[in-house]
Amino acid sequence: MTLKECYSIIGDYNDVMKRLPRETMVIKFIFRFLDDKSYSQLITALETDDYKSAFMAAHTIKGLCQNLSFTRLYESSHLLTEALRSETPDKSLINALAEQVGEDYKTTVNTINTFKAEQ
Amino acid sequence: MHRKNRQKILIVDDNKMNREFLIDMLENEFDIMEASDGFQAIQILRDYGTAIDLMLLDIIMPEVDGFEVLAMMNENYLINDIPVIMISAENDDSCIERAYEMGVTDYISRPFNVAVVRRRVTNTLALHAKHKKLISIIAEQVYEKEKNNNMMVHILSHIVEFRNGESGMHVLNIFSITNLLLKKLIEKTNKYNLTQKDISLITIASALHDIGKISIPSAILNKPGRFTPEEFEIMKTHTTIGASLLEDIPIYNDDPLVKVAREICRWHHERFDGRGYPDGLKGDEIPVSAQIVAVADVYDALTSERCYKKAFSHEQAFQMIINGECGKFSPLLMECLAECHNDIINKLQIHSNEHMQEIQLQNIVDELIQCDETNDLISPIKQIDREREKSRFFAKHAQELQFDYDCRTSVVIVSEWGANLIGSNRTVLNIGGKDKCIMCNSDLQDFRNILDKADINNPDVESNIILDTVDGRMSGKIIAHTMWENNTPKYTGVIGKVSGLIKISETKGE
Repeated sequence: MTLKECYSIIGDYNDVMKRLPRETMVIKFIFRFLDDKSYSQLITALETDDYKSAFMAAHTIKGLCQNLSFTRLYESSHLLTEALRSETPDKSLINALAEQVGEDYKTTVNTINTFKAEQ
Repeated sequence: MHRKNRQKILIVDDNKMNREFLIDMLENEFDIMEASDGFQAIQILRDYGTAIDLMLLDIIMPEVDGFEVLAMMNENYLINDIPVIMISAENDDSCIERAYEMGVTDYISRPFNVAVVRRRVTNTLALHAKHKKLISIIAEQVYEKEKNNNMMVHILSHIVEFRNGESGMHVLNIFSITNLLLKKLIEKTNKYNLTQKDISLITIASALHDIGKISIPSAILNKPGRFTPEEFEIMKTHTTIGASLLEDIPIYNDDPLVKVAREICRWHHERFDGRGYPDGLKGDEIPVSAQIVAVADVYDALTSERCYKKAFSHEQAFQMIINGECGKFSPLLMECLAECHNDIINKLQIHSNEHMQEIQLQNIVDELIQCDETNDLISPIKQIDREREKSRFFAKHAQELQFDYDCRTSVVIVSEWGANLIGSNRTVLNIGGKDKCIMCNSDLQDFRNILDKADINNPDVESNIILDTVDGRMSGKIIAHTMWENNTPKYTGVIGKVSGLIKISETKGE
């Protein structure tokens, strides 16, 4: 799997290459993404209905996705961030959005792992 | 660029990966410091201040967020010195606007474009480096100018005092008392429309109040007993002579300082009820500058020993002035005196040159704060001020003798605690001199040898020493730091401290 193929599943290869100078930098950071704790922080926060912390975590995920052009996970984490930002959070909406984020996160992480295994 | 001279960038973001992104982009060119939340950022800013050249700041962070960091920087004026680039995924306009209003220089939103981030960082740094340089040049010049001015005035007034046989402290004390009274006065009323600049002027000019005494014969000036009426008449002329000396200066005649000094010279012996001299002015016919210096002059004369009298206590002097025993003063000034009497006692007890410089520095700072256009100048001076206050506090409470030695002048300044311990002034001339050597000679030589081994890369030394103190001989440890300037083969100064002092039961003398 090439980096380009990897990105065809998780995001926008052309966009990330426009902003970051080299593939090596992109690869270095998508691997780092695997170790980032924001997703597990998000899950923990949602389990305890701690929406403030959940907002922070979702916001961070969204930012990382922007920088790495993870379009797929960006969309869902963006929606979740906005839902959590609300003064009166809608629990069922948040749960539905969180489920989507979970799905996209797994796809993203699994794809990166597959790519990594082949390096 | 040499690594040592690289500019320092503080990256503040709660997410490690976000920080790593930025570090990756910038670490080849810059020294990077990281803070993982706003609280840490504030601490680093406090510790490093303007040693940080640029800050990249995330907005959304747990606990203390980016806006709070900006608020703190605004409070401390740091925002004028350290450029801030905001970085966030927040793209809503009100957020960006708020950040700009709080003084950020630039705003980068995610996703990052590496080339753009680098370019913005270098541009911001270049712009600020220039700005900073200009500010420091101006600040230095303002300070130098004030310092030189004050120095000239003090040299002049010391000449007068020297001839007068008075202690060199008189000018200093008048200076402090005048300053405190003025500050109290503007706190209470703006009746006299005094600005910070006026306060500076009057305080400096107070040093010249007695210059007319230069033309009074020494026999009268230094007469221990009472004056005859004729002698007193001659003595009184020091007021008019002082004023006309200043009147006759061919240039600077209209300078505000000269004008104020003239008022003070002529009228600092006038009294509120018209019974003073030389003109018998009444009430506010006497310029407020002269009224204040009159009180300061009387207060210090009473509390000092003179060839014809003993010193009164502060409390006695205060009562005598309030009771009108030294002539009548403005009731308003009497209120001021009552309210700042404790401050006066405290200030006069410090009695040091350093103290005088501090008043001057404080006046410059106050003056600048009043003047909005020079707002940028405040922070470097304020920082010096804050540092001085800090070190004074720590020196006061550390149970150790701290010292600061300047090789060029051979002057050692020791901390108050240290001065009390060795029973000397805070300023000790010539540390190994014959008249006052606090270290025994062999220790002093040892210490010099150790100092000579220090160099710019290993500037710190330590050794054991024995000190003569007011409580007898004590042994302790001396730790010192040699200071170096560019290209000097020898250190130019030494700072350090003596701690862990233990009394030893050895008889004094060798």
